Amino acid sequence: MRRGLIAAAVAVFASAAVVTAAVARPTQPAAAEQVAECTNVSLGDVGPLTGPAAFLGNEQLSWLKFAVSKYNKENGTKFKVAQGDTQLKAPVARTVARKFVADKSIMAIIGPSESQAVIAGAGLFEKAALAAVSESATRVDLTNGQFKTFFRIIPHDGIQVPTVVRFVAEKLKAKHVVVIDSQDDYSKAIAGPMTRGFRARGIDVDRESVAATDTDFSSIVANVANDVSVVVFATQVASGANTLSQQLREQGKKAVVFGTDGAYSPAEYKPKLGYVSAFAPDLHFDPKARAIIREYNAFSKNRTFGTFGPPAYMAGWVAMTAITKACADGKATRAEVTKFVRQTNIPSIIGDNIRFTAKGDVRGATFAVFKVTNGKYSVAS
Amino acid sequence: MDWDKLVQLLVNGLTLGSVYALVALGFSMVYGILKLLNLAHGDVLMVGAFIGWGILGWLGGAQDPSVAVWLLIGLMVLGAMVGCGFLGVAIERFAYRPLRRAPRIAPLISALGVSFFLQNSVLLLFGANFRSYETFDLVDVEVGIHWGPLNVWAIRIMVVVAAVAMMLGLWLLVTRTRLGKAMRATAFDREAAAMMGIDVDRVIVKTFFIGSALAGAAGVLVGLVFGQINHFMGFNYGLKGFTAAVVGGIGSIPGAMFGGLFIGLAEALSVGYIEDFTRGRLGSAFKDLVVFLILVLFMLLRPQGIFGRPEVKKV
Repeated sequence: MRRGLIAAAVAVFASAAVVTAAVARPTQPAAAEQVAECTNVSLGDVGPLTGPAAFLGNEQLSWLKFAVSKYNKENGTKFKVAQGDTQLKAPVARTVARKFVADKSIMAIIGPSESQAVIAGAGLFEKAALAAVSESATRVDLTNGQFKTFFRIIPHDGIQVPTVVRFVAEKLKAKHVVVIDSQDDYSKAIAGPMTRGFRARGIDVDRESVAATDTDFSSIVANVANDVSVVVFATQVASGANTLSQQLREQGKKAVVFGTDGAYSPAEYKPKLGYVSAFAPDLHFDPKARAIIREYNAFSKNRTFGTFGPPAYMAGWVAMTAITKACADGKATRAEVTKFVRQTNIPSIIGDNIRFTAKGDVRGATFAVFKVTNGKYSVAS
Repeated sequence: MDWDKLVQLLVNGLTLGSVYALVALGFSMVYGILKLLNLAHGDVLMVGAFIGWGILGWLGGAQDPSVAVWLLIGLMVLGAMVGCGFLGVAIERFAYRPLRRAPRIAPLISALGVSFFLQNSVLLLFGANFRSYETFDLVDVEVGIHWGPLNVWAIRIMVVVAAVAMMLGLWLLVTRTRLGKAMRATAFDREAAAMMGIDVDRVIVKTFFIGSALAGAAGVLVGLVFGQINHFMGFNYGLKGFTAAVVGGIGSIPGAMFGGLFIGLAEALSVGYIEDFTRGRLGSAFKDLVVFLILVLFMLLRPQGIFGRPEVKKV
C-alpha cells in the first residue's frame, strides 16, 4: 500500500510536469521581417524575477522601468516593458524567449540576464532577428559569433577571470585557494579557467560545487583546509556568498570569500571581511552619478541597488534609441532595430560611450574589485 | 583520517538531521492516521520560517532586538508553531477533509495545490528576494563550543536541543496521554476507534495541528541556523523530510527521528567524503545522489523502513 501511495505521488508529479509542459507550448515565432506599428512597442525583460537570484532580476527590472519612463518623458515615446521571469532556470528562460519572439509588440530584448538563459534563448532571438542586449551575462563564448543578434554592455569573464586571479595572487598573496561553482553555465565557465589561472601562478586549488538553491554550506566549509586563505565563489546568489562567509567564521576558518560579479549586492552579501568583483562601477562611488541616483530614488521604491541596475538602464536606453531610429518612418522591423543596435554610439552612465564590437561585446569595459568590511563596500582595484 | 573534518561533519549532519527529523515527524503522523502523503508539509515549514522572520523584525530585528535574545528566539519558535498549527488545521479542514472518502489520488493532487498556493501566497506577500534572519548579528559565532577540532556555534546547539526536546515531547504525548492513545487507536483502525467513542475528526485535527506546529518550529530553526529563507525552500526540506520518514518507517515516530538524523548525517558525510571514495570522479555536488540512492535502496530492500512493520493484509 505504501509503495502504491508513493507511486501515486510520483505519478502526480509526472502529470504536473506534463501539464506544465503542454501549457507552456509555444506559438509559432513571428517572422523576422514582420513590420511592427511603432505606436505599440515593448521591451522584453528576460531575467530572474523569482528564485535565488531574484535580487538582481528585480534590481534590473526596476532600473529598466526607470530608463523607459525617463526616455518616454524626454522623447515623447510610449515604450512599455514586458516582464519575463527565468527563475534562474534555463528551460524556463527558453519558454520566456519563445513567448517574447511570438509577441509582435516586442522589438528588442533586455537581457537575458544570466549566461545560461542566453544559451537557452539567444538562438530563438536570432531566428526572429530580435536584438538581445544583455546587462549582465558574462560568459565568454556568448560573443564568439554563435549568436548574431546578441549584444552585451558589460565586460565578459575573459576579463573577469584574470582580474580576480591577479588580485588574489598579488594583493591577497594567496598560496592555497578553494574555487566553488554553483553548477550552472555561468559559474562553471568561470570556475574552470579560474582554477587553471591560479595553478598557472603556482597556487594550490581545491574545487567544490554546490547547487544554486543551497542555503547550507557547512559541510563544504568542513572540507576547506586550514591554510586556505581565499574561497572564490562563482555564484549568482549573493545571499549564498554571505552564508558561506559566515559559516567559514563559524567553523574557525581564516579564509575569506571572494564572490564573482553575481554576488555584488550590498543588501545581501555583507560579510565581516570579503571581496567581490563587479562588471560595472557602483554609482554610489561616482560623484558624477548623484543626479541620476536622485532621479532614480524619486522614481523607485526599490532604492537599494548595486551594480546590476545601471547596466539594465543602459541596455534599455540602447534598445530604445535603436527602435526610435528604426521607427523614423512610423514602422519598423526587428531586423532594422538590430541593425541600429549594432551601430550604437551613445553616452553611458557606467563608463565611456557604448559601442559594440562586430561580435556584440561592448568596447573598453573593465572589471573592478570591491572590498567588503563589516558589510561596507569600498573600491579595492 | 582527518578527525577535525569528521567531527565537524558530524556536527553539521546532526544539525541538518534534527531539522529533517522534525519534518519527517509531521509526515509520519499524518500518514499514520490518514494514510495521506501531505505534500504541502514542506511549505508549512516555509510559512513557519516567514512567521519567525516577521516576529524577528517586529521585535526590532537581529541588530537591535527589543527583548532578550533567548526570549526573542522562544517567541519566534512559539509564534511559528501556533501559526503553522492553525494553518495545518485549515489545510486539513478545507483541502483534505472534503476528500477523505475520495480515491487516494484526489487528496494528493489537493496537497500539491495547497503547496503551490502557499508558495505563491508568500511570494505575493513578501516578494521573491531571499530574506535573512541575520542570526550572526543575533548570536556571535564565537559563542558556543570551541574545543580542539570541535567548533559548535551556540545556535547549532540550540537547534539540536530544541529538536530533540520536541521529539521527546511528542513521544511522551503519543505514548503517555489520552490524546496519544486516541491517535494510536485512530491510526490502527479509524472506524473501530470511532465505534469506541473516539472523536476521530478531532483527533485528526489535533494531529494536523501538532505535525504542522513541528514543521513551523523546524522552519524557524532552519532560518536561525542557515540564515536565509525563501518562498520555495519548503520543497527541498519537504523532500528530504519525506525521504527521512520513508527510511525510518513512515508512520513510526521513532523511525522519523532516526530517519531524519540518518539522512542528515548521510548528506553531510557525503559532501565530505564522496570525492575521496570515488577518487575524484564525483564531487560534493552529488550529495543528493547519495541521499536519494538511500531512498531507492530502502524502497527496494526494506520498503517498510527501519522501524516500520511489513503490512499484513487479510485475504
